[in-house]
Amino acid sequence: MNLNPEFQRQLYLECSQARLIGIPLVLGVIFTFSYFIDGYRLGGATAKAALILFLLITLLWGARQAVDSIVEEYRDRTWDTQRLSALGPWEMVWAKLFGSTLMAWYAGLLCLLVYGSAIDDYAALPMLIFYGVCAALLVQSGSLLLGLLAVRRGQTKSGSIFLLAVIGFLSIAPWLSEVSSLTAYALPDSTTAWYEIRFSSSAFHQISLLLALFWCAVGNYRLMTLELGMRTTPSVWLGFSVFLMIYVGGFMPSSAYSFWLAAFAVCSALTYVGVVVESNDAMRIKRLLTYFVQRNWRRGSEELPIWWLSFLLLLPAALVLSVSVHPLREFSLRFHFYPLAIVLILLRDCGIYIYFCYGKNPQRALSLTLLSGVLLYGILPGIFNAMGQNGLAALFFPLWADSAGGALLCALAQSGWVMGMLYRRWQAST
Amino acid sequence: MITVDKLIFEYPGLRALDNVSFRMDQGSITALVGPNGAGKTTLLRCMAALERPVSGTITIEEIDVLEQPRDCHRIIGYLSDFFGLYQRLTVRQCLHFVARAQGIDDSDCPAAIAAVCRRLNIEDRLEMRPGELSRGLRQRVAIAQAIIHKPSLVLLDEPASGLDPEARHELAELFLDLQRQGMTLLVSSHILAELEAYCTDMLVLRNGRLVEQITVKKARQHKPFKLLLAQPVQNLAEILKQIPDIELLKTEHDQLALIQLTADTQQQHAVLKALLALNLPVCEFAPAASNLQDAYLQTIRQRP
Repeated sequence: MNLNPEFQRQLYLECSQARLIGIPLVLGVIFTFSYFIDGYRLGGATAKAALILFLLITLLWGARQAVDSIVEEYRDRTWDTQRLSALGPWEMVWAKLFGSTLMAWYAGLLCLLVYGSAIDDYAALPMLIFYGVCAALLVQSGSLLLGLLAVRRGQTKSGSIFLLAVIGFLSIAPWLSEVSSLTAYALPDSTTAWYEIRFSSSAFHQISLLLALFWCAVGNYRLMTLELGMRTTPSVWLGFSVFLMIYVGGFMPSSAYSFWLAAFAVCSALTYVGVVVESNDAMRIKRLLTYFVQRNWRRGSEELPIWWLSFLLLLPAALVLSVSVHPLREFSLRFHFYPLAIVLILLRDCGIYIYFCYGKNPQRALSLTLLSGVLLYGILPGIFNAMGQNGLAALFFPLWADSAGGALLCALAQSGWVMGMLYRRWQAST
Repeated sequence: MITVDKLIFEYPGLRALDNVSFRMDQGSITALVGPNGAGKTTLLRCMAALERPVSGTITIEEIDVLEQPRDCHRIIGYLSDFFGLYQRLTVRQCLHFVARAQGIDDSDCPAAIAAVCRRLNIEDRLEMRPGELSRGLRQRVAIAQAIIHKPSLVLLDEPASGLDPEARHELAELFLDLQRQGMTLLVSSHILAELEAYCTDMLVLRNGRLVEQITVKKARQHKPFKLLLAQPVQNLAEILKQIPDIELLKTEHDQLALIQLTADTQQQHAVLKALLALNLPVCEFAPAASNLQDAYLQTIRQRP
């Protein structure tokens, strides 16, 4: 049988006889203990134990396995062998995702079987299984995504990536146990308004979860495509940015201003995310410029950093917001909102991060940028503010300026200075 | 035919490959030599479409490597200098995985594994794990992985490092065998004496630049011979130029001469007869001890 070779390799690694026998044995011991606690029957304690174990195994162990399926290859220097194989990106993604987590699913399935035998009311079971499986897939798929990003940045330690997966677990676990405590009769008949259309909340959550899974899979596909050396434009990131703008915009009160505000917030966040997750390679910009000079637009667009795209999408949102009337202006006279100044501040922050990335210790770029952020956003403007020098405080934190023009000038001065420094360092690096 | 044209690759602050251009014939074995940091590994990785250069083109069998990297991956085999093997799999499982990943049908895998193991003499290690093997045997397993799908171009980065002399000899035999089957090989190595046994061409890289491309095979068809006389003979160079079918390379003190002859032994005999007929006091007439290492060192010294 022509099984996917990567999946088959994962089977060789994961499905050892010892594991196939050992996992049911260990679970059996735990459930025997809960059986005694329940008074020699499968009851509440067993159901709770089974659910907690399902979550721990599929989310935590599964996430760890998914991260290691890619980071271990890089660490053990076998990644080049895989990159040179004839396998396509999608074949590689699903084989790694499902192959590496196979034993976690095997153990999780046993836990669900015990859970099913221990509960009396089966009304909420299908929904619990749906949420449980989708949430685990989301965390595992997200972990694979983080693993791929780490490999692209040359990071070989999976500990920090796993920490992010744990955060994912902690955010999903309480929500899932809440679902498990509901019975079909007790389910609240709540609705969610999205662009003034009312949806059943549970249906909306389910669709959102499936959409998150879809985007995770697309992200994995795109990163794997890049890893395999295939040429691709960052259209997936562009699509994701637009999707997120529309999705988040649906939750805002219905007005054009609210929509653009959501778009502004989403694009700002994605710009920061984009600049941090991608490898900031000075040579990439040189290649990009070389292609543009050669008028090879296609190749040039393939080299575009993803944060540039979010930043470009941010500009129209900032312009629209700048010419619109700020509805919150009446609530507080001290609160200023200067979208164009924020755009420049964002550019400054990205510039600072990339400046450190082009330095001798790029692995410290994030911590150095955060330190700079504390100085620029907190300490320096705070000191000047305390001294009553609001003008000087606004120089560092332009949103404290009294006029949009003043804020824009302060932000322009800072971003211009940072960009100048960045350009000089880029020239030195290339 | 493999063509590399105006290839430029840069690391931050360092141009690793500077306008490198060369051609390789189908079925040739080319030695890629140069000092440490010359750009050998970078060149091999670019040719394997594992790195993206700033500019330039690489064409392997009419496939533009930089445009169609996946098509290129199907026709090349690559052995990295720091190769890795799956430590938790047996040798058979490693080879089966690579064979399947390279598109070999599951039913054809046992035959492909058997063939490559026979060729590399590792048939009796199939059930062992790479961690249980010696460095040399692990190297052979890695080479087996690189050639199991019978690629038309094999790129090998320091394939003989860590091998004992016997294993190196076997490796040379293997490369010649692969060449006979029509494969083209590009072998990066520091051990020039071993390359001489099988390579047909030599590429010399220095500071990211291609210093010289030497056709070794052609040189082997024309052997340099050393002629030593018992005492100096005036105008030795002029005398030697009278003899047909020889090319005078150099003379020293009218007593020693280096001449180029064809590899044909009959012709060598005829030249010796002619030398004696000219009453030259010949006391030594033998192939000069010139090899790849000499050629390499000569190139490196002549072209800084």
